[in-house]
Amino acid sequence: MASQLFSQISAVMRLELRKSFFSRRGLWIYLLAFGPALLYLIHAIDVTRDHEHRQALLASHPVSSGALHLIRQGMPQKQVLDLLGEPYLKNEFLQNGRRRRGQDISIYHYTDGESDFTFFIVDGEVANVNEQDRCNVTKDSAIFATVFQFFYLRLAVFFGCVGIFTNLFRGEMLDKSLHFYLLAPMRREILLAGKYLAGLSAAVFIFTVGTALQIAALSWHFEPGQVAAYLHGTGWHDIAAYLGVTALACAGYGSIFLAAGLLFRNPILPATVVMLWESINIFLPAALKKISVIFYLQALCPVVAAPEADTPVLLKLLISSAEFPPAWLAITGLTAVMLVVLGVAAARARRLEINYGTE
Amino acid sequence: MTDDRVLFDNVSRFYGEVLGVNRVTLSIPPGITSLVGPNGSGKTTLMNLMAGLVRPTRGQIRVLGIAPDDPQRLCRTVGYSTQFDSFPRGLTGYQLVASFLRLFGFDQPKCHRLASAAIERLRMGDAAHRKVAAYSKGMRQRIKLAMAIAHEPRVLVLDEPLNGLDPLVRSETIALFRECAAAGRHVIVSSHVLHEVDQISDQVILLSNGYVVAEGQIQGVRGEIQEHPMQVLIRSSRPSLLASKMFEQDHVVEARLAEDGGAVLIKTRDADRFYRALNVLALDGIDIEGVMPADDNVNSVYEYLIGGGAGL
Repeated sequence: MASQLFSQISAVMRLELRKSFFSRRGLWIYLLAFGPALLYLIHAIDVTRDHEHRQALLASHPVSSGALHLIRQGMPQKQVLDLLGEPYLKNEFLQNGRRRRGQDISIYHYTDGESDFTFFIVDGEVANVNEQDRCNVTKDSAIFATVFQFFYLRLAVFFGCVGIFTNLFRGEMLDKSLHFYLLAPMRREILLAGKYLAGLSAAVFIFTVGTALQIAALSWHFEPGQVAAYLHGTGWHDIAAYLGVTALACAGYGSIFLAAGLLFRNPILPATVVMLWESINIFLPAALKKISVIFYLQALCPVVAAPEADTPVLLKLLISSAEFPPAWLAITGLTAVMLVVLGVAAARARRLEINYGTE
Repeated sequence: MTDDRVLFDNVSRFYGEVLGVNRVTLSIPPGITSLVGPNGSGKTTLMNLMAGLVRPTRGQIRVLGIAPDDPQRLCRTVGYSTQFDSFPRGLTGYQLVASFLRLFGFDQPKCHRLASAAIERLRMGDAAHRKVAAYSKGMRQRIKLAMAIAHEPRVLVLDEPLNGLDPLVRSETIALFRECAAAGRHVIVSSHVLHEVDQISDQVILLSNGYVVAEGQIQGVRGEIQEHPMQVLIRSSRPSLLASKMFEQDHVVEARLAEDGGAVLIKTRDADRFYRALNVLALDGIDIEGVMPADDNVNSVYEYLIGGGAGL
């Protein structure tokens, strides 16, 4: 009996996997999954070229990093030139204000091969020092956390799951091919399980590969030593956590959109409602925050994506804080939500009829 | 005794406010039974009810004693060739039948054996490894029939199974139905072509507007058919030649080319002789891609049978 169930589930999965992976209508899902990796790769190429450019500038205008860090506000212009020599780029001009007399302004650009230093010199004294770091692991890790939580999970994985999972039943009703399954002697729950597992396998594969490629692309421009240090620190744990969160997102959103495909004629409407709910999650009171998928996913992310420093104050006030649950509770909560939703979908599948509207 | 019959007990099915079938009470014995009626009369609804694809709004159905809400038992007993031509994409004919059998939980060798046997039985061996998407209408009909018979069901439910088949395949398919019926199985066929019904059926169920208006033996229909010319659309790569050959037959009263230039519309007073003549032409090498009923006049026969309350 168990072997027959397994055989039926695997038969459904075999058919559905082909559809989920190779459907021409699903090409946009690959774009969503792999687009960010492509952007990170472009960023990495840009950073690498920028680094090479700085190294060339350093060779033509040698200056030590230590000397650059000695420059302070109020330091005379002559002392700057004595310490650092001529900059590789210099802008000098006279600024005339309405009330003030004209000011002599000089902007000096130096590099130590890693970072860019810009000194604003007004009337012969350093007025401002600006250091632009080359990307570092900590900075890039924070950028990745923000993009992952606010774009990849909320939009890419979300809409990817809409495309994959609503298509499992609703797509076949539109194609008028669902009867193929309903004429086979198997419990509808088995059909649902086979379809869900096939959709989940496809979604998890596509989006975890997407996540892994993003991480790989983002670390591409770092020195091997920096990457090794990151991996030996929190790196492997972070990567495993991001891949796990991606898989859980597919499982959670997948169950919701599988059910939506069974319960609604037009699954775009419930998808829009869920998206709005997930989007406003950050502004919801703590109790309501917990009724969402994104809340648990964020709890499992290794780096917290905090609101930006330049977020308007009023908006910051609206952002309520709810303490994230521990990992075991987040995983249990998500699994419970998923099972309840799949239970509702199974009940609907049991009453499923073919009504292509031909009579 | 009832466990060898398909039973409908006061069954109604509504789609919202639209009537599918109403108060249908039937007891269908083994043999070939035709469901006859114009488009929209409820034939497909009745078949979907038998196969468990839709549930009755009221009443009870038993297929050889099995309730349609028990798909695990019902679908092993019933093989259904639907009117829908859509299948999972990207499969060849063989893969389609074998994949369908895999859903039954059969192991790979059994699926291969049953699928190959069904495909050979429908003479689809040459096309079995081509994509279904590239099949002609007739080939799709045959692969659907192969799917329906592959698991050797005791009840075959076939929705317009002869549509689009060329004359040779049509007669082979009818022979297959007869073989199944002779083996004590139920073969339930829907058709709106009265000539077909006359040719193949042991009993007829006449439907109109969702009601069963008559059921019984076939003989009563035969006389009505003879009096009404039948129209058939034949798709061929040489429609002009086909039209001229057909027009030589004394029972053909009209032969004209279809507007798209790829078919010929024949009006005949003798369906039996028409099909015999068509077989001869096909054997002579005239390519016939498909034969479709195109008979508006059939409705007048229905009207006569239904309106006159003809006892069949």
